[in-house]
Amino acid sequence: MLPYPDLFVWWAGTITAGILFLSLVSVVLYFLAKKRDRVSQGGILRSLFFDVKRFAFVWVLLTLLVLYIVSIDGQNYTMFAVGNVVIEVFIFSYLVLTRKNYQTYSEA
Amino acid sequence: MAKNRQQDRVDRWSKTTTDVLSEFSTSEQGLTNKEAQERLQQYGGNVFARQTFSTLKILYRQLFNPVFVILLASAAVTIIFGEWKQSIAIFVMILLAVVLGFYNEYKAEKTVEKLKQTVALKALVKRDGKLVELVAEEIVPGDIVSFTIGDIIPADMRIFETKDLELNEATLTGESFPVEKTSEPLALTTPTPQQLTNYVFSGTVVAHGSGYGVVVSTGKNTELGNISLDLTRPHPMTEFQKGLNGYGRLLLTLTVFLGIGIFVLNVAVGRSMVDAILFALAVAIGLVPELMPAIVTICVSRGASKMAKKKVIVKRLVSIEDFGNMDVLCTDKTGTLTEGKISLRDYNSISGVDEPRLVDYSLLCNSAAVGDEIAGNPMDVAIWRFAKAKGLEKVIEPYEKLEEIPFDYKRRMLSVVIRKGDEVCFITKGAPESVLKKCTNVDMGKEIIPIDNQLMSINSHINESSTSGYRILAIAYKVIKPQLKYGISDEENLTLLGFLTFTDEPKKDAKDAFQRLKEYNVDVKILTGDNELVARKICEEIGIPVRRVVNGTELGSLGNADAVKAAEEATIFARITPDQKLDIIKLLKSNHHVVGFLGDGVNDAPALFEADVGISVDSGVDVAKEAADIVPLDKDLDVLANGIIEGRKIFANTMKYVLMGTSSNFGNMFSVAVASVFLPFLPMLPIQILFMNILYDTANMTLPTDNVDDEHVKKPMKWDNDFVRKYTIFFGPFSSLYDFLTYGIMLFIFGASPALFQSGWFVESFWTEVLVMWVIRTKRVPFWTSRPGKWVAISTLALVAFGTILPFTILGGALGFVALPAQYWVLLILMVATYLLLVDMGKVFFLKICKYNW
Repeated sequence: MLPYPDLFVWWAGTITAGILFLSLVSVVLYFLAKKRDRVSQGGILRSLFFDVKRFAFVWVLLTLLVLYIVSIDGQNYTMFAVGNVVIEVFIFSYLVLTRKNYQTYSEA
Repeated sequence: MAKNRQQDRVDRWSKTTTDVLSEFSTSEQGLTNKEAQERLQQYGGNVFARQTFSTLKILYRQLFNPVFVILLASAAVTIIFGEWKQSIAIFVMILLAVVLGFYNEYKAEKTVEKLKQTVALKALVKRDGKLVELVAEEIVPGDIVSFTIGDIIPADMRIFETKDLELNEATLTGESFPVEKTSEPLALTTPTPQQLTNYVFSGTVVAHGSGYGVVVSTGKNTELGNISLDLTRPHPMTEFQKGLNGYGRLLLTLTVFLGIGIFVLNVAVGRSMVDAILFALAVAIGLVPELMPAIVTICVSRGASKMAKKKVIVKRLVSIEDFGNMDVLCTDKTGTLTEGKISLRDYNSISGVDEPRLVDYSLLCNSAAVGDEIAGNPMDVAIWRFAKAKGLEKVIEPYEKLEEIPFDYKRRMLSVVIRKGDEVCFITKGAPESVLKKCTNVDMGKEIIPIDNQLMSINSHINESSTSGYRILAIAYKVIKPQLKYGISDEENLTLLGFLTFTDEPKKDAKDAFQRLKEYNVDVKILTGDNELVARKICEEIGIPVRRVVNGTELGSLGNADAVKAAEEATIFARITPDQKLDIIKLLKSNHHVVGFLGDGVNDAPALFEADVGISVDSGVDVAKEAADIVPLDKDLDVLANGIIEGRKIFANTMKYVLMGTSSNFGNMFSVAVASVFLPFLPMLPIQILFMNILYDTANMTLPTDNVDDEHVKKPMKWDNDFVRKYTIFFGPFSSLYDFLTYGIMLFIFGASPALFQSGWFVESFWTEVLVMWVIRTKRVPFWTSRPGKWVAISTLALVAFGTILPFTILGGALGFVALPAQYWVLLILMVATYLLLVDMGKVFFLKICKYNW
């Protein structure tokens, strides 16, 4: 049985709120950037779901949310550890691929 | 627009000398000592107002800023509640920041103070009918002063007697060539100093001849003093200081709201008032980047000492950041881009080819005193310097000088009679228009022809040279029969040999220095009192492309919007006054540029003072150095690019501290605040928060030594509080998320007691806060394409190690920590690795996809 069971709901609520807030901030910042650069903003919500590469960051956040809540609720060390490693490998690969043309951006 | 000084001058230029002498109740015999003493009481000493070095001012700057106000208030509250441990921790922070900041700024100011010490100026003054040498400070209006070649003029005077007098007024007006002076009244209404040829001005130098003048203004009432007076007002805030203040306000607002919120919520959940206050204060302090002033000072002091090794004194430390952020550099011409002294450029015959006889004849027909040093008329000195540099000084040895007919301003010529073997030659050197009148023939090299056929092309050559900013002298000669006596009457029927062209050459390193500025994306503008053609010539020679030229009259007629546009578009501002230089700086600043000004003369002082970064040059006058923020001790213009690189590195490292402080620090404090509401115990004790803060700040102390990526050096950056806000909102929640995750692990996996919970969270919080520095410090891949500085790597690792073992030590016990279980470390390593990768991924999203940049 979970220790401090009465605190689990607020904890899950807090971490969920945190991740949702960060996801929302990401979308808003993206929206503001498009507005600033005067790029058409029509497809933002659509690209959130379909342009996985661009919004991979948000999807990783949401995956982490599920992993953390499920593994801690089940007090499952193994799931927590393996899940972290898998996500680390994914982020690492993503960063390597994305940064192939990173220098071009820096000079822009 | 700046106030026009021309309108404030009392008209003594149109009066006769007798009228001026009687206005000051004096005579050509000067004042009596008694009268002088009375006037000294009435007008005060002949000294300028100056900004003085003050230890208290430095201390004031360290103490009175929003960060210290918060810290001091917090310290006071902890003392009131008897929380000594907490108050000691806060005072440690204050002491660290104040001592470091004060020490560095004091050291820099002291160096500058030494630089300012100058030798007391003396002058020959008529008192009781006799010429006596007095310290310039004792000179009063009405005094009669004698001056001769080499003298520095001690006060503003109306000239009443001259003998071939020429003044070098470059320090006041920017004009490189000496100005001829007269004692005659001038019919002018609102003249500029350049037009007042019957005045001599304080600080200018006698280049030729001698004279007497009656003192009309002393000290702060002189032209020079007027400018110095402007420099005693508080220095305008730099762009960096404005950014820093805005950032301070942002933090203050955040801190106050969060502090009050935490206090209210903690009281609402049933905690005691004292506990709630102390906890809220600890969180507030956790939010404040208390070492910000110290980090900034260390950053700039490090940059300043690096520059001092390259013989550049940084007078006002804060200006070094603006040096880096500067995107427009306005520069004076004379003495700044140019050598500020006349040199011989060409010696051409009428057919336009080098004529070696011109050098020989001009050495023979020369009034300079030649010894170990060469002194005299600047153009004669330039001829000798040229000859010495080319090893030609011995060419005159076979000649014997028989006679010299001295220069005078009526003839504007100097003539000599020389003999070589049996041949006697009469040589005349002087102003072209005067010499031409005496010539009947022209020496074309192979033949001598009548001058009439060549007059048009000769006159056009003279005009072209004059409008291009060159000074020219004509040389003419005739072979004569030996005579017993020679005189002015012999100056006729001469043969024109050619012209000597003199110029104020661009500094040797100017081209490279300005090329480097271009590479670092700094736009250069020339602000000069000279004409457009001269300025264009200089731009051409040092490789500055000219987009638009605006002259002083045009600028004066423009409305504000057009003036801003002109300031933005023009590369050259010609024929402008010192007041207009100041206006241009203000216009550019109002258009959100970080503006630098490079100048050396008294006329540059207001602009040097107003610019975000004022840079003087080695040959600059004291007043210019006084007004400047950066003072090079030698003439290498490379100081500009080096300073920019140093400034940009400093700015980048300062920004790293700000971004880390406001993101990870803010996230941590936010999560502690949220937890305090839901948890049945305090998530972290106030002393633990303060201790973590001290450790974190210690890690940051090495940031000024960090490596800086190239992209942070290539372009000027600006403090952008909107960017800082967005950065905080985006990156702050990352550390909060991992704090929340740690709560979950400690509570639901380890069923932690308050002490275990606090220990686990302290370690996680500290690891994430310190290690995230490696990710946030660069836009690139940490370690792979951007390595942190050696000391940053060492200090972060050492502090992480210290934070890790802390719960197992006696100190840890004293702070309320307990040992952590082995499984926790495994989870912590995995969790922190994910955190760092996630922040890096967020960084790519924020910087690459959303294109928010710094």
